[in-house]
Amino acid sequence: MSGELIKNDTRPVFKATTFQHTSKSNNKKRAWKSLKQIISTERSLQWPEDYVHYSSINAPPTFKPAEKFSDLSGLPAPYTDPQTRLRFANKEEYATLIGLPMDITAGYLALRGASSIVG
Amino acid sequence: MEMEVLQFKDLKPVPDVIHSHGVDQHNATIIIDNGSYQCRVGWLNQREPLLIFRNLIAKPRKERSKKDITENSPVLQPQLQVGNDITNIEAVRFQLKTQFDRNVVTHFEAQEHLFDYTFTHLGIDTEKCVAHSVVITEPFLNPNSSRQLMSELLFECYGVPSLAYGIDGIYSYHFAQSKSEDNGLIVSLGYHTVHVIPVLNNKTSFVNTRRINTGGSHIISFLHRILQLKYPAHANAITLSRAEELLHTICAVAIDYKEELNRWTDPDYYENNIKRIQLPYSTVTTTTLTFEQQKERKRELAKRLAEINARKREERLAEDEEKLNNLMAIQELLEIDEDCEEIDQLLTDNQIRNVEDLHKNIAALNVKIEKTKEKIVATASNEDIVVDEIPAKQTKLNKMVFENEKAMHVYIQNAKKLRQDILTKKSARKQRRQDMAKRRTAAGQERMRIISQLARKEKGNDDFGLRDEDWDIYKTISREGGDSDSDAENDKLLELEEIIRIHEPSDVDDTLKPGESHQLHIGIERYRAAELLFKPYMMGSPEAGLMEVIGYVLSLFTPEEQLLLAGNVVLTGGLANLPGLKERIQTDLISIRPFKSHSEVNIISNPSLAAWYGTRKWARSSEFKRNLFTRAQYDEYGSEYFKVHMASNLYVPMPKGHAMDVCE
Repeated sequence: MSGELIKNDTRPVFKATTFQHTSKSNNKKRAWKSLKQIISTERSLQWPEDYVHYSSINAPPTFKPAEKFSDLSGLPAPYTDPQTRLRFANKEEYATLIGLPMDITAGYLALRGASSIVG
Repeated sequence: MEMEVLQFKDLKPVPDVIHSHGVDQHNATIIIDNGSYQCRVGWLNQREPLLIFRNLIAKPRKERSKKDITENSPVLQPQLQVGNDITNIEAVRFQLKTQFDRNVVTHFEAQEHLFDYTFTHLGIDTEKCVAHSVVITEPFLNPNSSRQLMSELLFECYGVPSLAYGIDGIYSYHFAQSKSEDNGLIVSLGYHTVHVIPVLNNKTSFVNTRRINTGGSHIISFLHRILQLKYPAHANAITLSRAEELLHTICAVAIDYKEELNRWTDPDYYENNIKRIQLPYSTVTTTTLTFEQQKERKRELAKRLAEINARKREERLAEDEEKLNNLMAIQELLEIDEDCEEIDQLLTDNQIRNVEDLHKNIAALNVKIEKTKEKIVATASNEDIVVDEIPAKQTKLNKMVFENEKAMHVYIQNAKKLRQDILTKKSARKQRRQDMAKRRTAAGQERMRIISQLARKEKGNDDFGLRDEDWDIYKTISREGGDSDSDAENDKLLELEEIIRIHEPSDVDDTLKPGESHQLHIGIERYRAAELLFKPYMMGSPEAGLMEVIGYVLSLFTPEEQLLLAGNVVLTGGLANLPGLKERIQTDLISIRPFKSHSEVNIISNPSLAAWYGTRKWARSSEFKRNLFTRAQYDEYGSEYFKVHMASNLYVPMPKGHAMDVCE
């Protein structure tokens, strides 16, 4: 454990020498709980009725239809290329679009969150 | 028109000094605004925060192969960098860690490193404790388990005497404004989240608050990605830090996004409003050697090699001749006196056993010398041929004379056509190579089909190879596609380009200024990135945007309350600095409110530091002392306990019998 060794060498004087995170004491290999895990544990508990917790204030899903913008330029895009599923605004953009290598088109789709096959 | 070209500043953090811990700070409270972007730390009795750093650590990974070495000599291991120690953030991008998961602290080992950094740089040197009360900000509705671990760390590891928690946005609202109204709608714009928090009669309405999980970090990474995809050639030069710099310098919020987009479709508007940003580039143009130059270089190399060989040959020749002379001398001696002792001595010196051997050696040396001489003569004449050949070719090109204009035109058109043919062939091959390398293209699938068919051939009726054409199939399925860019083709291309350049000098010439190819042109992107706040769906998030959420939160109140809230919308957090944000929210708010009803939007002064100023002001108020909870109370009431006040979360202890297991 060379990491531990260094930490002890440079341990600031103001720290308690014996402190250990309670959650870490049993097993060093264990990772810290992620926020997702914390939330799901929190939700599973029997809270008082009026209790508001972290996940109860998530913004509602949008009720407005998503406008379509060109993936390349950001302009309003009336067209979609059936091959790549990319949106484009005009024929100049289409000309660039068909020449794009696959990693770029995939990158645009992933950025818009539209890379899943189902969507 | 000469356009202004902006430069990246690439500002680097300056490592913090270790401040001295003066008498002034004796028993003073430490104020910490622990944000997921930056941490701001200062003393209660100082007006400004002493430390401002990114809440980040760069943890060097242990290299497996070097494990043994590092165990014996830990000094060699790269050091852990914390906060402003990280001067080059891009160099350690993949080792960065933060204690935050979204806006909540979850990784308390990282938090411990950051507290070490904080307290060390504040100059604290007391043995085994930090003898100062601490006020620290936490997220809205911070999960109990996170607060629990934070208290544990501060009380048990750092020996803090007392502690208070509060929410950053609410501290800003109540205490960083010169006069805070009893009612208002806080829009707290953070690095990972945006909160819309209604306050009525100075009380936070927790149940009607909403959080959008889109913040500054998303805008930065969105901008980063769209620029990388727009300029794939510069993908490595477009770093997250640079995207962040762009957000801070040129990004803005469009007051009317649709209208803004419309304006950009006009080429004149585009030309006048585009921002040109220079990426660093080197003026050394080693990579743009023409074929001609490359050839020249090759020729020079060959020439030098030939010279070295010639010198070696001459040396060898001289050596051999000397040896021959020696041997001849011995032979002469032999002829004079056969049994001389001197001769025996000489023979052994020259490593010759007997007289017969001597004769053999002489004969061999004679042949060798003859051969070497022949070679020298041959190479000399060869060189002349090589040197003569090249200028002849060049003069041939220059001497082209045409009978009339038309003939020249035809000739050039022909050359151009040939050149285009070669270029098309080359690009087709390139495309094919690219397609072949990928699995999901038609070419790739066809290749796989052929391969599987070849493999499937049953025994017995296998007549593959009977005809010579059968073997061509391997050309088709090779990734190179059978033929590759040949040298002959490149030579031809070079020659054609030369012809065209001589007769039509302007055509092939590139008039690009140095570095112009390394410029980013940023137009709509300036507004597109920040628009993410209002349209999270641009990044695939199903959540409602900022304006929709503000409208939604307002709809949860009675019309009278709505009037109070809409009449005092306060923006806080670093993103509030975005030009146009206030006007945009103002405009959109008017459009969703009843006709002629009052609404007002204001930005808090110094929005990035407002939370720290607010927290400090709160800690200077009379109610502060009552709202601290001590180590004794922590020990008595349990690790979840904290004091509830005007700017804090609510204290709701974990339901009994469900003690939360804080670790997986």
